[in-house]
Amino acid sequence: MEAIRKVLEKYDNEYVEDYKPTWLKAKFTNPNDLLSIVQDLQAEGIKTCSTVSPTDFIDENKIEVNYFLEDIINKKNVWLKFDIPRELEACKIPSITPLMPSANWHELEAYSTFGVKFEGHPNLRYFLISADYYGKFPFRKDFDWKAHEQNLIQNIDEITSEWLDEYEENEKTLPKDGSKTILHWGPTHPASGPIRLKVGVDGENIQWVDPDIGYVWRALEHLVERKDFIGSIVAVERICFMDNPNPMICYSQAVEEIAGKEITRFAKLMRVVLGEIGRIASHLISMGGFFGNAGLHTFVMWTMDVREYFLDALEEYSGARIATACIEPGGVRYPLRDGWLDIVQKAIEKYESSKDEFFDIFINNPLMKTRAVANAIISKEDVVQNYMAGPIARASGVKVDVRIDEPYAGYDEIEFDYVTCENGDIYDRLHIFFKELDQSMDIIKQAIAKIQEGIASGEMNPQKDHLVRIPKKLPAGEAVTRIEWARGEILMHLVTQEKATNPYRLKIKAPSVNHTMVLDELLRGKTLSDIPLVYGSMHICQGDLDR
Amino acid sequence: MNNIIFQILVFPGLLFLLGWTFFVFYFARKVLARIHKRVGPHFNGPAGTLQTVYDVFKLLTKENITPKSVDPYLFNVIPLITPIVAALPVVLIPWTPWMHNGVVVDTQYGVLGLVVLIGVEPFLLFLTGFGSNNKYSFLGGMRILAQMLSMETPFFLAALSPAILFGTMNLHDIMYANNWLTTLILLPGAIIFIIAMLGILEQPPFHIPDAEQEIVYGFYTEYSGTNYVLLKFAEFTEILVVSAAAVTLFFSGYRGLFFDSFWCLFLKIALIAVVMVAIRASNPRLRLDQMLKFAWSWLVPLSILNIVWVIFAKLYILGA
Repeated sequence: MEAIRKVLEKYDNEYVEDYKPTWLKAKFTNPNDLLSIVQDLQAEGIKTCSTVSPTDFIDENKIEVNYFLEDIINKKNVWLKFDIPRELEACKIPSITPLMPSANWHELEAYSTFGVKFEGHPNLRYFLISADYYGKFPFRKDFDWKAHEQNLIQNIDEITSEWLDEYEENEKTLPKDGSKTILHWGPTHPASGPIRLKVGVDGENIQWVDPDIGYVWRALEHLVERKDFIGSIVAVERICFMDNPNPMICYSQAVEEIAGKEITRFAKLMRVVLGEIGRIASHLISMGGFFGNAGLHTFVMWTMDVREYFLDALEEYSGARIATACIEPGGVRYPLRDGWLDIVQKAIEKYESSKDEFFDIFINNPLMKTRAVANAIISKEDVVQNYMAGPIARASGVKVDVRIDEPYAGYDEIEFDYVTCENGDIYDRLHIFFKELDQSMDIIKQAIAKIQEGIASGEMNPQKDHLVRIPKKLPAGEAVTRIEWARGEILMHLVTQEKATNPYRLKIKAPSVNHTMVLDELLRGKTLSDIPLVYGSMHICQGDLDR
Repeated sequence: MNNIIFQILVFPGLLFLLGWTFFVFYFARKVLARIHKRVGPHFNGPAGTLQTVYDVFKLLTKENITPKSVDPYLFNVIPLITPIVAALPVVLIPWTPWMHNGVVVDTQYGVLGLVVLIGVEPFLLFLTGFGSNNKYSFLGGMRILAQMLSMETPFFLAALSPAILFGTMNLHDIMYANNWLTTLILLPGAIIFIIAMLGILEQPPFHIPDAEQEIVYGFYTEYSGTNYVLLKFAEFTEILVVSAAAVTLFFSGYRGLFFDSFWCLFLKIALIAVVMVAIRASNPRLRLDQMLKFAWSWLVPLSILNIVWVIFAKLYILGA
């Protein structure tokens, strides 16, 4: 850390300070220093860009660009800040994509939504937003959403004409004879979900893949700005339906950090239990969906069957199965009712009774292995370079898990270790999920035992301890929190202003963005049949891809 | 004359094939649902038996869409020809003891007629993909050709083995010449036949031509309404014909342990259908190149070895 601090202090800065055990936070005065700072940091081992998050301070007439850079091997992270002018012509900063490829789509997203021009980006273009937002930069504070939504028909026309232009362009550029063509894998393809992979093929052989995302862009990051701090959880949890509680944990921690409140031990352990239930529900769908992509629908039915028991637990706790809204700033939303822990226990037993069948019939399936083993390998270097997160990184043997690296909620009390696979091929990216299910069951059991102990000893009161009051108005501040989501790390950057009743800016970094970014690299030279398998093995959810 | 009309319209003609289509559709759905831990068709008719009938008639009443970009003649004519070609081999297969020699057309070239008529079908399906003028349909059509070329070789060679062993191509004679010993001798051939059959019928793990996660619905993609029903009818008829051929060639057709009857044949076909559904329920799809590799470097050499084995058995075990 000291070496990194020295590097940062070399440049003109307003401050360099410690932030949490694993972070250094620094604000610089000259945006043109960025590239050389990043180069120096790379020499210190910080090789990955987590995300780029601009914040629009309209009153001070500036845009503050935040860079979150990570050393995912040695767990040293840096948070860089730069002020740049707000006027569109002057709103420029050097692009770090040539140095850190993992920043690529994050810079495009920042450009499309805030108009920050990244000079030197290899292909700076509008991204994520639909054609009717081009050049309007919707996340800027002066963008008028109401006025924009009034021209509905005109907006749809713009989207359609972009599509038709692309069609005409393809007609011109593709040769009339020969077997080259462009396939649109999605957005209404049976296995794609709302994403479009433009696939350049020669017969069945893939030449390039260009993902077109944004089909479920709901501007969640903007929606939270319209809600109060507690109402925002409804937007945050809708990142993706599969693992519901964990994003709310991340957001709530950010609010608690700004408010300066510590939640009770009981609430922390409840967050562990709920978070792991969400993770299990998500992992079960992911594994089943992988086989669905390979043309076998039995497994997804069986995993859904087990998942129902875990959803029962969520329903019993919060009244909802999918969108639970069960965690809010200050703790967890509801007190613990008698018998709820037994329902969780029952779900775990259900899983453990079916897990051998899962392994023997499906995870160990010889035909699946012929397709998946040693196919589309992600090496450790790729993980660092492109920032694969969570299970995808662990499948390649990289030890990364925010629950251990930067313990949050009650995870510091619980004993568990990194779960990894060796090869990083498609098979490992499936197998890691199966392994992690065991780990999650174990974590839940430990957490439940601790809760029961605490209640028995009178340390915890399940009727009152679940929530501490968070003031309605928060002070000015900002916080960065990370959690281990089912499919990787979620990073949230929350900014508030003085006496705020609602978030000023919330940046959500979700893992699927980087996982989609590498599809081109993984699929080049493979055949059409590999698309669903590789795509399924990255466990991409369009909800968190587009937000 | 009445007899001929009965054979065309009722058994083993149109009504029988329709009844089979309804049955096998329902049967596969129900068995698959059990394995999936679902219920399957449930509400219409006793235990949901009428569900497939409703489905077929729903499709028949739907609009028959011919997209603007397709070749209208090819697109609409092939679905008419396909079920007819698929149903033709029915006349060669011995169905029940109460017809003369069990078959409608008694010929010395039963095996030959069977494999040729089964082998024509994929080219018609390729034409549906070609006529659809859609990228995914066309890829489906190409895939079906690649799959057929590689799967038909072992299929034909395996079908040849009983003809060589018994020295006749007459299906009725083959059926009656079969006994426990010859069934054992023909067992490797039967296994190759059934594997190649999965490829020819595009059943999992060889459901590559209509791999919906890869190329949407292959050559079916543009079809709807009546045309779709006709193509599906052809598919189910082909399943019937090919499994009946397997039973006739290798497992002595309608002959039972105690009595000869159509129901013995039906039971054996149902057993093959159960095996097919079980494979479908437990195995993912192979990749096209893996299928080609499997067919050419394993199935074809093995089927040639099988012919050698059959000739050897004929000369030295049966002592002909």
